[in-house]
Amino acid sequence: MGMLVWVTMGIALWHFSVFVPDRFAGGIVGAFLGAVVGSALFGVLVSGFDVPGRDATDIGTALLGVPGSAIGMAVVYWMGARAVDEELEQDLKRLAGELPG
Amino acid sequence: MSDKRRNLFILLFVAGLVIASAVTIASKDTKLGLDLKGGVELVYQATPTKFSDVNDEAVDRSIEIMRERVDQLGVAEPEIQRTGADQIIVSLPDVRNADEAQRQVGTTAQLFFYDWEKNVLGSDLEPAPDDASVTGGQAAGQAGCLPQYDAVARARRRAAMPDQNTATGGPRYYLVNDKSRTVLSGPATERGDLFTVRGPDGEFERREDTEPRADERIVEVKEGTIVLRGEQPDGSEDNTTERDCYYVLNDDFALRGTDIENPEQNFDSGPGGTGQPNVTFEFSDEGRRIWQETTREIAERGQAQFIPGSSPLAAAQHFAIVLDGEVISAPFIDFNRNPDGIDARTGSEISGGFTIKSAQRLANLLRTGALPVELELISQSQVSATLGQQALDEGVIAGIGGFVIVVLFLLAFYRILGVIAVAALFVYAIYFFALIKLIPVTLTLPGIAGLVLTLGVAADANIVIFERVKEEIRAGRSTIAGIAAGYKKGITAIIDANVVVIMVAFILFTLATAGVKGFALVLGLGTLVSLFTAVLLTQAILGTMSRSKMLQSPSALGAAPQKRSIRIDFSGLSKWFFSASGVILIIGALALGGKGIDFGIDFESGTRVTAAFTSQQADEGDVREVLASQGLGSAKIQGVTDEELGENVFQISVEQLSPVKVNDLNRALDERLGIEGEPNTQSIGPTFGESVAESAIIAIIASLIVISAYITLRFEWKYAVPVLIALSHDILIVSGIYALTDREVTTATVAALLTLLGYSLYDTIIVFDRIRENVPRMPKAAFSQIANRSMSEVVVRSINTSVSTGLPVLALLLFGGETLQDFAFALLVGVISGTYSSIFIAGPVLIAWKEREPGWRRRRARIMGEFGGMVPAYADGSAAVEVDTDAKREAERRRKARRLTTPEDPSQGVSQAEFDEMVRDLDIEDSPVATEEPGYDPKADAQPEDVYMQDEKRKPKRDKSNRKKRNPRHGRPR
Repeated sequence: MGMLVWVTMGIALWHFSVFVPDRFAGGIVGAFLGAVVGSALFGVLVSGFDVPGRDATDIGTALLGVPGSAIGMAVVYWMGARAVDEELEQDLKRLAGELPG
Repeated sequence: MSDKRRNLFILLFVAGLVIASAVTIASKDTKLGLDLKGGVELVYQATPTKFSDVNDEAVDRSIEIMRERVDQLGVAEPEIQRTGADQIIVSLPDVRNADEAQRQVGTTAQLFFYDWEKNVLGSDLEPAPDDASVTGGQAAGQAGCLPQYDAVARARRRAAMPDQNTATGGPRYYLVNDKSRTVLSGPATERGDLFTVRGPDGEFERREDTEPRADERIVEVKEGTIVLRGEQPDGSEDNTTERDCYYVLNDDFALRGTDIENPEQNFDSGPGGTGQPNVTFEFSDEGRRIWQETTREIAERGQAQFIPGSSPLAAAQHFAIVLDGEVISAPFIDFNRNPDGIDARTGSEISGGFTIKSAQRLANLLRTGALPVELELISQSQVSATLGQQALDEGVIAGIGGFVIVVLFLLAFYRILGVIAVAALFVYAIYFFALIKLIPVTLTLPGIAGLVLTLGVAADANIVIFERVKEEIRAGRSTIAGIAAGYKKGITAIIDANVVVIMVAFILFTLATAGVKGFALVLGLGTLVSLFTAVLLTQAILGTMSRSKMLQSPSALGAAPQKRSIRIDFSGLSKWFFSASGVILIIGALALGGKGIDFGIDFESGTRVTAAFTSQQADEGDVREVLASQGLGSAKIQGVTDEELGENVFQISVEQLSPVKVNDLNRALDERLGIEGEPNTQSIGPTFGESVAESAIIAIIASLIVISAYITLRFEWKYAVPVLIALSHDILIVSGIYALTDREVTTATVAALLTLLGYSLYDTIIVFDRIRENVPRMPKAAFSQIANRSMSEVVVRSINTSVSTGLPVLALLLFGGETLQDFAFALLVGVISGTYSSIFIAGPVLIAWKEREPGWRRRRARIMGEFGGMVPAYADGSAAVEVDTDAKREAERRRKARRLTTPEDPSQGVSQAEFDEMVRDLDIEDSPVATEEPGYDPKADAQPEDVYMQDEKRKPKRDKSNRKKRNPRHGRPR
């Protein structure tokens, strides 16, 4: 049940990623995966590798999904932004004649 | 065949089928499930024995044996069927005593014959044939026994003796309490099975911990030693006079139940007979030989111990008949009459201590044979005939209500087309009902839910086509051409959507529990039949009527020109729709975490009794008092509103009770408060709950895989991802709402969720299908512009299909009973969420993802350059270029029809112009005369191959500007 709660929170927060410029690696789908994986991983880590069962969840369990989801999406955003920067750098080099093509 | 003839043929065929269906409906009975007519349902799980694994053959053999046993119960129309790999469902209509039914049907009847004195072990773990304190002497099987704790303690000390005829086939485990000197549970084949223990009230309950507590330990009795319960006095079946009497035996049986034949209940009426009931039987050839040898050995041992002058009975030795670990009889062998053992050619008998009923029961068990596998009762439910009838009435009202409401909607919205759709719906209802009777499908409450839902699905198909027909007529086509084009273009989306529903229904049917199977079967069949009536029949009717005056007016078809076309910026507004979904899901996540999901007994295990009390003054306190007297003071009691049964209906939920205990509880409630008719009872064991949960998870995963594969196949893989995201959105919203409203999640809810997976796609496929159609039509527009236009074009039909499905579901929610309302609630939330997510989640995710592709990015950049850094919501300026793909396809078809095959003047040979035309006809794309695609600026716009979708019939031509020139005469490089 804990996993379902974390993932639900992760997906809920992913919906707000549309307010951020789309620089996520893999776009909106990459952000989705980042939110889901981030919330689940963070929840598992913070809970000491023990997923709360049916009767062991509370509001705190749900809130535990928030930082994980944010971190997950931030990581995917950073990866995407870095790729865009690299691409830009390549274009600039190409324009300056340092690279072929 | 001309269209007119084809339509006439279809109409005649449909009419013929209607007549045949009417005859079937009139002549055949509807097969009702237990939930609609009352009865007992038992679910068993098979576990292996030493003599048989749980395989197809063993389970099928068990079903055969159980069927024979059920026949002896005299039950009309019993059903015994296999579910999954190792479960058997026994449905016994009109049976009222679940306890007796389960004892008669599911007793494993592992029957063995033991040479008694040779195998009973004393305290030194050695046989002591002449020690009556060990064997019981003349009272063999009844005297000289030990308390169970002592017997287990003795047995555990003996080493393994696997090289003999052991009944157990391996070690047996017991959980004992050394302080109270009691055996808490066992024998079990696995240590983990020991934690369903007998409580202080004598009932078994599953403990949450799986380790022995203080003063407890697990004891292993090795193979070769067996602890048998001694013979119980009469009346012990109801556990009122049980004796704690056990023996430790060397487990080396002489014969098995399979070695005997033709057992019958008889009376001991021969010379010197007592006239008491007995059981007579014969042996198989092998059994006869072993029987004679065994009884000879027993007789010889008796003869050797006989002291002349004493009573022969004092020296007589015994054999024991052991059924399911209990000595049921231990007759002696008269060594004077049978010094060479008993010649079994004339059969043998078991006598002494039988009542007619117990002798009949043993004879029945022996006749039908031992079940090849052990069976554990994991679920048991009993439905009263009154409540079943009530559920049927509610289901019928909900069905009729759903039908009427869909009819009204179709007539109000589609006028003449609506009349045709209603006619098709009537035909669908007649066909489907006839099919249910003909197959026959056992109609259950979930099945009725499926039936009502398919009414919506059948109407959906009409809506999709009619909206398309209207669109074509509005675009300027004639009625005839509009109808033809509407069916041609609408059919793809309908087939795609229905195939997905059928696939999900199939998965549900394969994996679900019995009740839900009925739902899945009805849903799958209904969808197939609806394809026939909603597409073929309506097309034939419309085709026949297309020249009539009635259909010539566009307003009669609801296709009058629209004052304003719908132009919504779905892409631009998606931020707000996403935010709304995000907020709903945050609330859902908090509810899931804080309140959790209330899983019903289907998943959690337990017993539920629903009873209407005749005592008008009975309140919750009175019910609790009766429960407390049965040791069930902590039960959950809930008043249930039921107009038909009255005000005093209560639902009692407790931990899982055995059938005996359920009977005791019902008896106590009846005596104190008076039960109206028969109560509904349902007992679910933890194993059943686990298997239900496991099947549900597998079904959800399998459905998602199948859906993804299908979407990838029909569209492209990038279209499958938004679908999965939208589906997870729908499932989580339904889960969150269940948590928020404290509604119980049952197997019906899971079935509804799975159906939702299929249904939610209906709208998504309609949207995606239109995007797919518009991509080649708008070669210069941005993806968001194409998607905006596509979604605006189909938003009305999306909403209408949802309304047409939602309305019958609403009827279920309003008029259906408890089970139907379970389905309806989940379906209604799902249908609303599914429609919303198709348009506002799946669409925008697809837009955002596709626009990252290089081709679409280039187009977007070009449009942004043209419009000062922004992309209009709808294609404008140079992006507004449209290709009439229909006209292009038609021109292509005509060109191919006029294909040049011979020169105009054969005597002059083939001219250059004729040669070029022939090359064009052959579609050689590298030919210099091949049709060129309009040129695009490669730096600013997408190339056709960038936006090419695998579904398109022909791959667009590549840019050939950099290609080497080819020889125009041969099409080869120079």
